[in-house]
Amino acid sequence: MQLTPAGRSSSLRARLGAAACLLLAAGMPAIAQAESGATTQIDATALLYGERSRTNVAEPTARITRRFADGQSLSAQFGFDVITGASPSGAAPSGTIHTTTSASGTVTTSPAGQVPLNSFKDSRYAADLEWQKPFLRSFLSTIGGHVSREKDYQSLGANGKLSVDLLQRRTTLTAGGGVNRDRVFPVGGIPVGLSDGSLPAMSSALPKDVSTLMVGLSQVVTRRWLVGLNATRTFERGYLSEPYKVLSVLDGTTGLPAGQRTEKRPSTRERRSLLASSVYHLTDDVLSLSYRHYRDDWQVRSQTFDARYRRELGSERYLEPHLRYYSQSAASFYRSSLVDGAPLPEFATADYRLGALSSVTFGATCGFRLPGRPGEWTVRAEYIRQFGEGHPDTAVGIQRQFDLFPSVDIGSLLIGYSIEF
Amino acid sequence: MIRSPGRLLRGALLLVLAGLAGGCAATAVRPWDRDLLAQKQMRLTPAPMVSAVDDHIYFSKEGSMGGMDVGGGGCGCN
Repeated sequence: MQLTPAGRSSSLRARLGAAACLLLAAGMPAIAQAESGATTQIDATALLYGERSRTNVAEPTARITRRFADGQSLSAQFGFDVITGASPSGAAPSGTIHTTTSASGTVTTSPAGQVPLNSFKDSRYAADLEWQKPFLRSFLSTIGGHVSREKDYQSLGANGKLSVDLLQRRTTLTAGGGVNRDRVFPVGGIPVGLSDGSLPAMSSALPKDVSTLMVGLSQVVTRRWLVGLNATRTFERGYLSEPYKVLSVLDGTTGLPAGQRTEKRPSTRERRSLLASSVYHLTDDVLSLSYRHYRDDWQVRSQTFDARYRRELGSERYLEPHLRYYSQSAASFYRSSLVDGAPLPEFATADYRLGALSSVTFGATCGFRLPGRPGEWTVRAEYIRQFGEGHPDTAVGIQRQFDLFPSVDIGSLLIGYSIEF
Repeated sequence: MIRSPGRLLRGALLLVLAGLAGGCAATAVRPWDRDLLAQKQMRLTPAPMVSAVDDHIYFSKEGSMGGMDVGGGGCGCN
């Protein structure tokens, strides 16, 4: 057909626009690559994590993802943790050397005046599967499964998500849900809550069920700016206590330990969180900011601020400093100890992770490619410091002399490698 | 300690909504303008494996969880 110059120009523009739509509207590089055939991506990370005088973790993880020509992808991830060291037992410090014997018979000695620790050693195996399938041009479905096992805990989970792109793919809506059917089987059995240790274990194992719902929105604001808003709601039911944690029973005047009791938490928990994220592309660099507000019906409220700045160094190298600040209020049943002779509360825990605390994280990631070698490397080093009220007004007697919340200093090194072929 | 979480939350939401409204009204980002947005580092979760490692660390050391996704499994660490 003979076209007039004006018509040819218009048709050419329309065709170029359509071609650009086909190539770019797909958005995800993976889909664009899939047009020419299937690809495989392998990711591996190795985490070394250490708390000063407490817990150490080594955690290698590997993930393989196969992307098919029709846009579907299937991935499998395997992880293995080795955890050693000690964590606070929940008991209060005393003026003498404190000896703790764990359920497995391990004896830990804590110096006088310091928070008593429980030694432990554990390993954890985890496997995850995920299948993604795009359909009807704008939809993406994701189905996943999870299994993990450690000495005293097992987790089985399944999850699913559906995303839809709207308004020329400027807006993406996502909704999903997940369920976990976990099982707790501590060494020595599950203790009776708030017991003094004289009662036999109430059971050898108890269930813990977790259900999560999520809705999310991501919005392209400008050519350089993407924002997101995610809300999650989680329902937990079952055995939610920490079987190895205790509370000291203190003399109300002297503050000296008169005994100890196991902790007891409610058997349900409902958590809600809202996460607002922003990613902005500067001339070359990228600034990522996020804020999370969290609350639950144990009266824990928290806020998390996170900032990353990816500085491009050229030759496919970058440096990304990271800063995170976290602050939480205490659970309604948190207390550092019990008072001898006072009526027992319905629930109580001295686990500092349910007390009022703050955390600061700073670190940096370096990403690079080795000349002449395939794949991308990342090396990340981070420092985390947790701190809280070490001398609360509620401390009695000798307890006023001790730091009841010694700061926790954590260092981590994460090495990652990713290759696609 | 949390001083006024409600106010901060409302402020963050307003910021996001203002950005959405202002940005969407001012610019219609066409598919051929997505060269920057298509970069991996422009994703809200650019490194899912690293994010999962971080979630595990913070879940085991803090009283909060959640926000981004529904996947992942339980852990006896908290």
